[in-house]
Amino acid sequence: MRALGLYIHIPFCQSKCRYCDFYSLPHRQACKIHDYVSVICSHMEKEASLYRDCIIDSIFIGGGTPSLVEAHDFERLCDTIRRCFNVSCGVEFSLEANPDSINREKLLAYKKCGVNRLSIGMQSALDSELRCLGRIHTLEMLEKSYFLARECGFDNINLDIMYALPNQSLDAFLKTIERVIELNPEHISAYCLKIEDGTPFSKMELDLPNEDIQYDMYMTLCERLEALGYEHYEISNFAKNAHRCAHNLKYWRQMEYIGFGPASHSFFDGVRYYYDSDLELYTRDLELGAPKRLFEDSPQMSEDEMMDEYVMLALRLGDGISEREFFNRFKKDFKSEYDIEKFVKSGHMVAQNGIYRFSNKGFFVSNFILENILKSI
Amino acid sequence: MDEKQQNIRNFSIIAHIDHGKSTLADRILEYCNAVSKREMEEQLLDNMDLERERGITIKARAVRIEYTHTDGEEYVLNLIDTPGHVDFNYEVSRSLNACEGALLVVDATQGIEAQTLANAYLAVDANLEIVPVINKIDLPSADVDKVRTEIEDVIGILAEDCPAVSAKAGLNIDQVLNAIVESIPAPQGDPSAPLKCLIFDSYYNAYLGVVVYVRVVDGTLRVGDKIKLMSTDACYDVVEIGYLDAFGLKKGEELRAGEVGYITASIKTVSETRVGDTVTHASNPALEPLQGFKEALPMVYSGIYPADGAKYNDLREALDRLKLNDAALSFEPETSIALGFGFRCGFLGLLHMEIIQERLEREFNLDIITTAPSVIYKIEKTDGTTILVDNPSNYPSPDTIKVAYEPVVKASIITPVEYVGGIMDLCQDRRGTFKDMKYLDAQRVELHYSLPLNEIVYDFFDALKSRSKGYASLDYELSGYEPSNLVKLDFLLNGELVDALTFIVHADKAYARARRIAEKLKENISRQLFEIPIQAAIGSKIIARETVKAMRKDVLAKCYGGDITRKKKLLEKQKAGKKKMRRLGSVEVTPEAFMAVLKLDDDDK
Repeated sequence: MRALGLYIHIPFCQSKCRYCDFYSLPHRQACKIHDYVSVICSHMEKEASLYRDCIIDSIFIGGGTPSLVEAHDFERLCDTIRRCFNVSCGVEFSLEANPDSINREKLLAYKKCGVNRLSIGMQSALDSELRCLGRIHTLEMLEKSYFLARECGFDNINLDIMYALPNQSLDAFLKTIERVIELNPEHISAYCLKIEDGTPFSKMELDLPNEDIQYDMYMTLCERLEALGYEHYEISNFAKNAHRCAHNLKYWRQMEYIGFGPASHSFFDGVRYYYDSDLELYTRDLELGAPKRLFEDSPQMSEDEMMDEYVMLALRLGDGISEREFFNRFKKDFKSEYDIEKFVKSGHMVAQNGIYRFSNKGFFVSNFILENILKSI
Repeated sequence: MDEKQQNIRNFSIIAHIDHGKSTLADRILEYCNAVSKREMEEQLLDNMDLERERGITIKARAVRIEYTHTDGEEYVLNLIDTPGHVDFNYEVSRSLNACEGALLVVDATQGIEAQTLANAYLAVDANLEIVPVINKIDLPSADVDKVRTEIEDVIGILAEDCPAVSAKAGLNIDQVLNAIVESIPAPQGDPSAPLKCLIFDSYYNAYLGVVVYVRVVDGTLRVGDKIKLMSTDACYDVVEIGYLDAFGLKKGEELRAGEVGYITASIKTVSETRVGDTVTHASNPALEPLQGFKEALPMVYSGIYPADGAKYNDLREALDRLKLNDAALSFEPETSIALGFGFRCGFLGLLHMEIIQERLEREFNLDIITTAPSVIYKIEKTDGTTILVDNPSNYPSPDTIKVAYEPVVKASIITPVEYVGGIMDLCQDRRGTFKDMKYLDAQRVELHYSLPLNEIVYDFFDALKSRSKGYASLDYELSGYEPSNLVKLDFLLNGELVDALTFIVHADKAYARARRIAEKLKENISRQLFEIPIQAAIGSKIIARETVKAMRKDVLAKCYGGDITRKKKLLEKQKAGKKKMRRLGSVEVTPEAFMAVLKLDDDDK
């Protein structure tokens, strides 16, 4: 059967973080989320027949703040998923949670529904930095919810952290690194703060660490985590004992996934599409039939575009690109298609036994390099 | 005396920037019903976008206005617009020579400013009757009486009864028209004398060829006449004759002494019709041309290159088109190792250069790279030959030079007294030789300096303005060549010579300039994957060095929720930004980096 990832977007947050430009709405009444779950369920029911021959082997409930969903709504959502799709018994089932909205009841409900991977937004170990980011939790709250999750039996937890924050020194970031290491999660995602247009941060005068400090932060992070046995399997992701995120790997390996909810993205039958970031429109369209699928450029990618995209995504991974696999996929020789020799020479890339990947130094300037080697961009 | 001339008034409006010249012109047209409010585009006389934005008039225009005076008499008023910048002083003086009078507009809230004075003196030199007009009296901070006194004290013309108006609000415009008719003398040419017309502007029209604006001084010009341009003896047949109203050309039969109008005569380029030249009849020519003709000679040269090498022919066509209307622009092909194929262009001055660059970018949609402006050096070589160098890259090696000469200008700077010290420091710093200083009145001083032109072409004008809060005005003319101790300064990026950055500098200033430019380059070259050394060299001797550190980080996009397009867009955006970059060997440089290097702001030294 055809393997498929499932993504569900929960576009509600208790409060919007100052750096975030993902689609989310202010959460005020629980009934809104209740209605939203119904909308998603009805959308899945309508489209279920399209995916009869597929088997869902990864589920990711992201947001927004999915942990705002009440336990009974969550159970309803999961029942619908299982009713609509063939869900593999070995499915990786991830859910994003924020420390301020987790409690024992919810955690037990998640567990009961088959959630086996939690991703908790920690971001920083310093309360001053959390406040600056506009997060509404403290380190203490994070730790409480983390240990609670452990108590409830979650043995695959990711902690999200961020660096290059306003006024952040290398020392300050080291505190977050050390704290997250002590908590000993199976998976760590570490994102470099990017100031996105339209966010409150974009309108503020921020004192951001310079390029060299950011570089030191990234290098320190990589070295420290790698030394402790975390596998640096993607630019910003680290996993212990093979706890890579199977769902996210699908994105990077050009594998198929379908998304539900406004602002969710899908890749199916070689076509990338997404839904508009507009819940009202999504709901109205669904009542009339189906939410409108939007496409970037032409829905069908050319061979070169597919190849470029593959390279762009696969090079995010520590596994990099295997010459053999590339040939099997595109019937072309990777090295003659992409001129990477000089980057190998400069130490930004590593070539070993027919595998090409970025070094840590290369990861950090990967856009620059990609822009130089890709054809269709 | 010719009756027709009695009722003609030829005048210009002169003013400091922003004192309301264009608005007053609009109001006069409106008052005389030459144009209705509805039809009026703001500031009708300034046609080019660039002019409107910069608030300056680049090319002169002339409009005929019919006006019925309070005495019932019909008058013909010819409003001749003038450009307003030092680079175009010559053109201004020719426009003024086509008039008998000038309205001197002074802002009632600002009083007299540098350009007011510079323009007033030009008008005095042209023997014009000056009619002061105090503008912006509707503003709360207007002080009409003070400005009246100032005009009388500083310029020495009566202002007691001069019109005080608000051009914006349309207040007292009738007084202005009264003053034009009453105070400005009628022209006094002889319609039956041999023909003498002053060319004060011309432009190229795709259908008519060159349209030449003239003021007939003596004689009468008719369609079909054979005319001669006195500076070149070139002859043409007059095809069309007429005048300009607010909406365009109006055909007529003849132009008589005292009148202002246009002629077309199948002339192909404006460089054949030089501003200031005299038009006469081929048979029965005038004995003497009108006084004051000068050929507009480029003083400043710079290389202009297409940012995208494939656009070379587009650039050539664009320059050809601009040249049709701009006799002072010169260009010829040149090649640079760094920048590829381009043109060495000659300009009247820095503003002229900037205007041409902007027009190339805006009107012709070209991305261009401009090299440092240079002047023409005269080199006496050891082999006895003398060469002229307008491109620093062609500067000969020191051992072949016997004497190097650089152009020197006679500069006159008018400034309020309080800025004299700062300006003298500036001139000193720019290797100026003090000549004399004259008090124009208690507040105003005129300084005379002899200055090397290559010290002026960089940023002298900006520095002068910033040291005088914008009040000082500058006028200069070439006075000759003087021997000088010059060196050629080269720049190397990543060990490779970038010829487009080479320039000539006085030996005493080479070190300081080299250091500053190296720093500027460092600021303007973005980090790349490899470290980039920047070196400044005289011959093989490195005199300054900077390093652009290697790039260590770029934007990391999250591929959250499978949103791949986000990442693709980021790459595309980044790529688009780089498209404008020029590869110099292994280094990518933005076109702006070149220009930034040239703008060595005096105050952040």
